[in-house]
Amino acid sequence: MSMEDYDFLFKIVLIGNAGVGKTCLVRRFTQGLFPPGQGATIGVDFMIKTVEINGEKVKLQIWDTAGQERFRSITQSYYRSANALILTYDITCEESFRCLPEWLREIEQYASNKVITVLVGNKIDLADKREVSQQRAEEFSEAQDMYYLETSAKESDNVEKLFLDLACRLISEARQNTLVNNVESPLPGEGKSISYLTCCNFN
Amino acid sequence: MAAPAAPSLARSGGSSSALPMEEIRALTDLPDLEAAYSRLCAEEKAVEEELEMLLDQQSSVESKMVALHRIGPNLQLIEGDAKQLAGTITFTCNLAENVSSKVRQLDLAKNRLYQAIQRADDILDLKFCMDGVQTALRNEDYEQAAAHIHRYLSLDKSVIELSRQGREGSIIDANLKLLQEAEQRLKAIVTEKFDEATRQGDLPQVERFFKIFPLLGLHEEGLSNFSDYLCKQVSDKAEENLQLVMKTDMSDRRAAVIFADTLTLLFEGIARIVESHQPIVETYYGPGRLYTLIKHLQVECDQQVETVVDKFIQQRDYHKQFQQVQNSMMRSSAGEKIEPRELDPILTEVTLMNARSELYLRFIKRRIVSDFEVGDSSASEEVKQEHQKCLDKLLNNCLLSRTMQELIGYYITMEEYFMRETVNKAVAMDTCEKGQLTSSMVDDVFYIVKKCIGRALSSSSIDCLCAMINHSITELESDFREVLCNKLKMGFPATTFQDFQRGVTSAVSLVHSSLQQGKFDTKGIESTDEAKQSFLVTLNNVEVCSENIMTLKKTLESDCAKLFQQGFGGEQAQPKIDSCLSDMAAVSHKFRDLLQEGLNELTTSAIKPQVKPWINLFLSVSHNIEEEEFNDYEANDPWVQQFILNLEQQMTEFKLGLSPVIYDSLTSLMTTLIAVEMEKVVLKSTFSRLGGLQFDKELRSLIAYLTTVTTWTIRDKFARLSQMATILNLERVTEILDYWGPNSGPLTWRLTPAEVRQVLALRMDFRSEDIKRLRL
Repeated sequence: MSMEDYDFLFKIVLIGNAGVGKTCLVRRFTQGLFPPGQGATIGVDFMIKTVEINGEKVKLQIWDTAGQERFRSITQSYYRSANALILTYDITCEESFRCLPEWLREIEQYASNKVITVLVGNKIDLADKREVSQQRAEEFSEAQDMYYLETSAKESDNVEKLFLDLACRLISEARQNTLVNNVESPLPGEGKSISYLTCCNFN
Repeated sequence: MAAPAAPSLARSGGSSSALPMEEIRALTDLPDLEAAYSRLCAEEKAVEEELEMLLDQQSSVESKMVALHRIGPNLQLIEGDAKQLAGTITFTCNLAENVSSKVRQLDLAKNRLYQAIQRADDILDLKFCMDGVQTALRNEDYEQAAAHIHRYLSLDKSVIELSRQGREGSIIDANLKLLQEAEQRLKAIVTEKFDEATRQGDLPQVERFFKIFPLLGLHEEGLSNFSDYLCKQVSDKAEENLQLVMKTDMSDRRAAVIFADTLTLLFEGIARIVESHQPIVETYYGPGRLYTLIKHLQVECDQQVETVVDKFIQQRDYHKQFQQVQNSMMRSSAGEKIEPRELDPILTEVTLMNARSELYLRFIKRRIVSDFEVGDSSASEEVKQEHQKCLDKLLNNCLLSRTMQELIGYYITMEEYFMRETVNKAVAMDTCEKGQLTSSMVDDVFYIVKKCIGRALSSSSIDCLCAMINHSITELESDFREVLCNKLKMGFPATTFQDFQRGVTSAVSLVHSSLQQGKFDTKGIESTDEAKQSFLVTLNNVEVCSENIMTLKKTLESDCAKLFQQGFGGEQAQPKIDSCLSDMAAVSHKFRDLLQEGLNELTTSAIKPQVKPWINLFLSVSHNIEEEEFNDYEANDPWVQQFILNLEQQMTEFKLGLSPVIYDSLTSLMTTLIAVEMEKVVLKSTFSRLGGLQFDKELRSLIAYLTTVTTWTIRDKFARLSQMATILNLERVTEILDYWGPNSGPLTWRLTPAEVRQVLALRMDFRSEDIKRLRL
């Protein structure tokens, strides 16, 4: 493994219906761009951004998946190794909200049980076209025990916050896991627990 | 000529004196009068001085006046000259104005002349074109006619307009009208003739009229008509091919990949068309037009692909098979699972179909990009980007791409199922031949994983490959590692044979157990042996897995490098693959960790329970001995030889059953264990001087033996014990100081001062006061 200059490495996978703005969120965060007329993502896109949190370099591997049904089997293969999932829907599109339970089933089926899931309602710049109220989304995320955030990739609202908060939570989870792993000496068969630390702690 | 201050003041007073006469007359006192008098005297004196000074200047003033009078006549001369000069300049200026206005007029005249010539030329051209078109049309020389029309179309429209307003306007008007009629007629004829040629499939005629369209300014029409003709050819050929496919015998050599072959033929046909017609398009329509042609062709291609893929789905039951796979995956225990082997051919065919499509799309992309590059060489960045966008849209949104993405989407799920089920089968059918270090499932599992990833790779789709790498990682890391883990969890059973050797107690327990279990006794021993064998084989398996994963990763790296060299995959393909492959390396490390856990388990459950009693026997051999016993020990070794023998016997079993690398790790763990246990017993014993010597001899024998069985360095692990032996061998307590502190030389003490004292105390002949007195 390359000895790159970072303290933590996390995999974040964005999922959600086609056209809810996953690619725009990633572009906004990684490149500071909002490319209008973005074509549909083919398969998966891959971006890297290294951020500094409390003096520690955190490398975020961001997998931006295609929302279209025909790419589902490709995107599903990335769930298991993800440290975090960003489940995105479009606040101006009731349909994209109604599909969330289906996405949660996918997560249940494919993702690791330690994965952190964040629910994101995107496109809050189109407030006059809103179809899903904030309260409804909050209630839903609370019931599913998810963190909820509303963003606008276009206006750059909450985009940084989304990724940085997530990175913070991933760091603290990773720390807890080192503690747990240090206390219990791993028995055969229990070594499969978590993969972060084998690859992130270089300090 | 500055005058003294006082007199000037006096003058400004209006009278000759500073004192007015009235004041003087009013004076009555003598002292006042005297004062006035003296003042007047002073004034007089000052006035006189001033007058004298003025008189002195008179001569110089006069000489200056003379000089001025002499200058007067010269000034008059200069004035005359200046007036003359002004006159000359004005004249010259007028002259220049005159000349330049004439040049301007000449210029204008020249321009008009040129225009007149141009117009005359154009009129002549028009006439020539008109005559030419008529003749050419009569002679059915459409190329010539089109050339004339082209000439007419490239004439400056404003000139023609001007000509019409001239005196001969009516004639020109008539000519123009004729020309326009000819243009329309030609257009109609060319279109008609082109259509006719198309209908007859007369390629030379089709190409002939295709070349004429751009001359008439009908680039788009020409390309679109020509594309229609080409599309017809594509569709005819494709239908023919499909007919052949439907008639193909199932025993045909290519029957299993017949749909992939059909797609290949379709793509090759289109590629050939592009290849052979690109030069005409480029020559007669200019660069940058290939995109339009291919866009039209792609529509036909999409239709044909749809037909072929529909037939494929129908004939091969693709969707039904997918449905079955999905059902099998949902109901993990249900009986009617689809047999993975049945999926094998269809999976191969799908990847082949996708590979062909990728190859075709890459060809198209390359051609259009290079054509745009020539066409856009001087275009703005915006135009270039616009063109790039159009191209991306064409490639990404065409039905071919979408259809293939759909097929691959199903493929991945089915391939994953194939892999998982076949791996399960390999695990279920696991056997281990006698004398083999590993069992069949390791080779089988890696054969399967390699096959599945290899097949995904052969699809040329990077996303598909990444997905299968991810699935393989899941399969190996979770399912297969779990299998090996569970086997290791069963543990390494304590051995009955060695129990028997160990002595009466064990023998009693063996008899006891055989009495209890009766007939199962021998079988019990046999299955214990099997369990032991199984544990060792599993350890070997784990190690080979770890190795195999790394080998697989390296192979994939070089395979992908080849793929990238051929230009497959987008800009992100490399980092995507790298990321997936680095996950694979992480899995290999997990297998390594598992191996270590297994070895630790083996050491604690099998080696330690045996080795510990053997070492404990050391306690029953007194080391508080005199000369006689020492000699006796020399003749009849009391402990170490038997210990070495036991070790050798025990390790033979592992040496035979484990791969050299694992055996080496195991002996390393064992030597560590021996060193630790030895220390414990030494600290529990007491020594005489000769006893210390005896221990030193024993330790040397042990180290010498262990050095022969491992490749690791033993010395380091036995450093503390060797130092204990040194201490136990001292003549006197204070001799330690020859080796301690500044005298230690190259020796690094691993024992703390407290431990040194503790070891010294083991010597019965050393007095504890001496030991206490030591300064360490």
